[in-house]
Amino acid sequence: MRAVYLVLLAVLVSACSNPREEVTVQLANQVLLPAHEQWHGSNGALRVAAEGFCAGELDRPALEQSFYRALQSWSYLQPLMVGPMAEGNRSWQVQFWPDKRNLVARQVEALLDASNPLTPDALESASVVVQGLTAFEYVLFDETVALADSMARYCPLLTGIARHQQALSGSVLAMWEGPEGMLKALTQFPNDRYASADEALASMLRTQITAVDVLKKKLGVPMGRLNNGVPQPWQAEAWRSQHSIGNLQESLAGARALWERVRPLVGDAELVTRIDAAYENTAQKLAGLPDPLVEMVQDKASLPRLKVLYESIDHLENLQQTELARDLGIQIGFNANDGD
Amino acid sequence: MTLTRRHLLGMGAALGGVAALGGWSLWQGRGQSPLLLSARNDDAGRHYCAGYFLDGSRAFATPVAERCHDVARHPFLPLALFVGRRPSRESYLVDLRDGRLLQTVHSQPQRHFYGHAVFHGSGDWLYATENDLSEPGRGVLGRYRLDRQSLQLIHEGEVPTHGVGPHQLAWMPDGESLVVANGGIRTEGSREKTNLDSMAPSLVIMDRQGELLSKETLQHQQSSIRHLAVADDGTVVTGQQYQGEAWESVPLLAVKRPGQPYQPFPVAASQLAMMDQYTASIAIHSRRRQVAMTAPRGNRFFVWDLDTAATLIEVPMADCAGVGVVDDGFAVTSGQGRCRYFGYRDGQQASHWLDLPGGWWDNHLRLG
Repeated sequence: MRAVYLVLLAVLVSACSNPREEVTVQLANQVLLPAHEQWHGSNGALRVAAEGFCAGELDRPALEQSFYRALQSWSYLQPLMVGPMAEGNRSWQVQFWPDKRNLVARQVEALLDASNPLTPDALESASVVVQGLTAFEYVLFDETVALADSMARYCPLLTGIARHQQALSGSVLAMWEGPEGMLKALTQFPNDRYASADEALASMLRTQITAVDVLKKKLGVPMGRLNNGVPQPWQAEAWRSQHSIGNLQESLAGARALWERVRPLVGDAELVTRIDAAYENTAQKLAGLPDPLVEMVQDKASLPRLKVLYESIDHLENLQQTELARDLGIQIGFNANDGD
Repeated sequence: MTLTRRHLLGMGAALGGVAALGGWSLWQGRGQSPLLLSARNDDAGRHYCAGYFLDGSRAFATPVAERCHDVARHPFLPLALFVGRRPSRESYLVDLRDGRLLQTVHSQPQRHFYGHAVFHGSGDWLYATENDLSEPGRGVLGRYRLDRQSLQLIHEGEVPTHGVGPHQLAWMPDGESLVVANGGIRTEGSREKTNLDSMAPSLVIMDRQGELLSKETLQHQQSSIRHLAVADDGTVVTGQQYQGEAWESVPLLAVKRPGQPYQPFPVAASQLAMMDQYTASIAIHSRRRQVAMTAPRGNRFFVWDLDTAATLIEVPMADCAGVGVVDDGFAVTSGQGRCRYFGYRDGQQASHWLDLPGGWWDNHLRLG
């Protein structure tokens, strides 16, 4: 009798849908994994474009478009990179920011002086500073690099970086899709990483909220918020390609994609309305900026607009970090932010 | 005759002072399951001194005003001091049988606690790392005498730690000398670091009267030495927090073996990269010669062989914080997820979740 009862209970429990688990599984399958795939795909396209450009088969605007797409998919991924890409300092291999001492320019030139032409091995064993999109951007956009006249010098680096990015994103994707990979950890519970879907969902939200906080930094650092209000335009990300605002838009879109899936779990309808409004407000403010960020931070007349944008992101972060976390019963940051 | 902790434990209830704590033997009877002591928060952000038996039953959760950090367990009385976290000016002496707050210990004028303290094996003295605010960053050990009648800690002076910003401390096997991690960072009574360009971390061994026995440093001056554990044979392992660039690769573990200089503990570059420049707690399983470390920023838990440095366990664990030795393995708490047990024996890893509340556990735990 007892055995029958236990079987019945098991059936009942499995039949009960667990909305949090459903959302977690959906997020993993339909948002996080596709963002990683898209990023990998854009790196493959960047490699093809870099090789085509260096072989004289592709013009420069086409290469620039491929670079922008790689940068966009990377920016979109950041609020969604739970697991392997967030670990082991891997993200430094993609983007070196903030570059406080212009290390990218200095290290690229030093590397090319030391190894001309650059071998793949030399790039693989070099600093992360020269392995990523920031170094690629320097070669493609910096005023001091006369790329058309020095293809022999810079092309091995362009193709090397693109290959490195493709290999890196491929290995991360393999860590997602492998038999004991990240996708399994986010969809079948318990597992070695998460005791329950709740823990997995919490780690997704923490990643997303941290990325929103980074958006504030990406805006605040060039504005000079940490520098007594003295603008630091060369500390904007992607300032050379004037793509800083595009990056912010893509990261916001990635964060919003996660929020869209989490929304049905929130009990407080009024909070849902406010978070929706905060996303919309921030997106509109970003879309309405007239000039590249690197120029706006140097123009006193533009600063009030940037300040309003900063406050809008700050408001969004606060809503999620305090009220959303409380509504969902999720702990955002504890010992990891301790500093003791 | 010099009493060791073992002697004192063996003498048990025969000790005079214990009379003031009637019921000790009764309480001990409940301890079939080890008692885990740790500072903890609740969902509303309130702070507690918490004690849970490892089987999941709660011994106590005493609300306190300030967030605590480490816990100093008395060697034989059912008492522990929950130590205020930098720059707290309060620590809490708690009766482990029922969680009763016996005393709120206030720091001296121009001093605050750094989160760590230890009781001497005699049970009469406690040493706490403290900041001298009249000369900010100058480390001192506050010396407190436990009055057995009133069960109050009484400040009886201090000795220098021979360094800046002391953090964790522990007894060497002689029970008379202390190893102190001077983190090297100046803070002026806040959590703001004011000397990152001129840090001076050091590992100090000193006797408890304050005399310096040895002082050693690491190659990287921005490698703040914070946490440590001592094996039965006197091997000290420390965990660092690197204050330089996030993308640099700098050793975060170091070891001082008996008769040898203090030097990096060899771990793989890929493991260093997983730690995000931040280590939280170290524990040594002396019998198994294993050292465990938590990296809450990297969400990673590690166990290495203390002698060969071979990796025994490396697993993801969200915001893993406190680690302590239990039976054949380690109990690990988390600031965000569930607590876990990890063991490594005969080439096999073992792991299971512990039936303890999930999340909000502070950086350190003690098992009593």
